Amino acid sequence: ILHSRPLHTTHQRSAPLPPLPEKGGEVRHGLIPEEFFQFLYPKTGVTGPYMLGTGLLLYLLSKEIYVINHETVAAACILSIIIYGIKKYGADVAAFADKLNEEKIAKMAAVKNEAIKDLETAIEEEKKEQWRVEGRRFLFDAKRNNIAMLLEANYRERLLMVYNEVKKRLDYQVAMQNLKRQKEQDHMIQWVEKNVIQSITPQQQKESIAKCILDLKALSKSAQAAV
Amino acid sequence: MAGRKVALKAVDWAAFAERVPAAQRAMFNALKTRSDALSARLAALPEKPPAIDWAQYKAVVAKAGMVDEFQKKFSALKVPEPVDTQTDRINAQEQEAEKSSREYVEASKARIAHYEQQLQKLRSMIPFEQMTLEDLYEAFPETKLDKEKYPYWPHKPIADL
Repeated sequence: ILHSRPLHTTHQRSAPLPPLPEKGGEVRHGLIPEEFFQFLYPKTGVTGPYMLGTGLLLYLLSKEIYVINHETVAAACILSIIIYGIKKYGADVAAFADKLNEEKIAKMAAVKNEAIKDLETAIEEEKKEQWRVEGRRFLFDAKRNNIAMLLEANYRERLLMVYNEVKKRLDYQVAMQNLKRQKEQDHMIQWVEKNVIQSITPQQQKESIAKCILDLKALSKSAQAAV
Repeated sequence: MAGRKVALKAVDWAAFAERVPAAQRAMFNALKTRSDALSARLAALPEKPPAIDWAQYKAVVAKAGMVDEFQKKFSALKVPEPVDTQTDRINAQEQEAEKSSREYVEASKARIAHYEQQLQKLRSMIPFEQMTLEDLYEAFPETKLDKEKYPYWPHKPIADL
C-alpha cells in the first residue's frame, strides 16, 4: 500500500495538523523506496531495478570508482552488527518510545476528561439546587398551617374552658343541695330515733321484754319441732 | 359558638423532605415534630364542647333564677377568636424568599452557562495527537511558560517542576 503524501503541492496549510500517518513510506530492503520500483516497472518489469543496481555495483567495482580496502571490511562488520541489532530489538525500542508518547497523551486526556466530568457534575448539582429551591412553598405552607392549627386549638380550648367552668359551678350547686338534703334526712332520722327511744318508759320496757321472752319460748317450741 | 372549618392546606411532607438539603435536615425535623405536635393537639380537642342540659339543671337546682341567669349569660357570652398576628409576617417572609430565590436561580443559571461554555470548549478541542505546543497553550493557558517573569530555563519556579 503506497501512502503518497502530498509534498507541498498546495499553498494552503490545513490547521490543525493532519494526523501523522501510522506507518512511514514503504521501502524495500530497508533502503530503497517502493516508488522507485513502481516508477521503473512499466519500462523494465519486475527485474529492472535489480538489474540496474547490479550493473551499477559492477561498474563501480570494475572501474575502481569504489576501491576495496580495509575500510570496506570495517564497514561490512559495522553494518552487519547494526543491521542485526535493529532487526532483533528494533520493534521493542519502537514500542517503548510509542508507550512514552502514549503515556503523555493519556495523562493529558485524563486531565481533560476529569475537567469535563467535574463540569458536568457541577451542572447537575446546580440543576438540583434549582429544583430544591422550588420546594420553598412547602415551607411556607407548613408554617401557615401551623399558625392556623395553633389558633384553632386555642379557640377550642377557650370554648372548652368556658363550658367546664359553667358546668363546674352548676354541678357544685347541685352537689351542695344534695348534700344538704342528705344531712337533713340523716339528722331527722337520728332525732326521731332518739325521741322514740326516750319515749319508751321503764314500764313499757319491762312489758315488752316479757312479751319478747314469751314469743321466743313459743318460737323455740315450734323451732324444735321443725328440726 | 360553632367551631370554624379549619382551612388547612395539605402539606406533602414526603416531597418536602426530598427537597431538604442535608445541612438543613435538623431544622426540617424540628419543624415537622412541631407540626405533628400541633396537629395532634388539635385532633385531641373536640370541635364543639358538649351542650349543657339546662332543663335538667332547672329541675334540680332549688335556687330560683340561678340557672336562668347562668343560661342567659352563657348564651350571651362570645368567646373571642384568637387574633392572627403572624400570617402577615409569614407572607412577607415568603415574598422575600421569592425574591432571593429568584436571584439565586439567576446566579445559578449564569454559573451553568459558564460551565456549559467551558464544557463546549473542552469537548470541541482537537485531539492531542494533532496539537502543536502553541495549540496546547491556547487550549490550556495555564501551561504556557511565562518567559518574561522567568527569563531563564525552566521558566517557572523550581518548586513547580
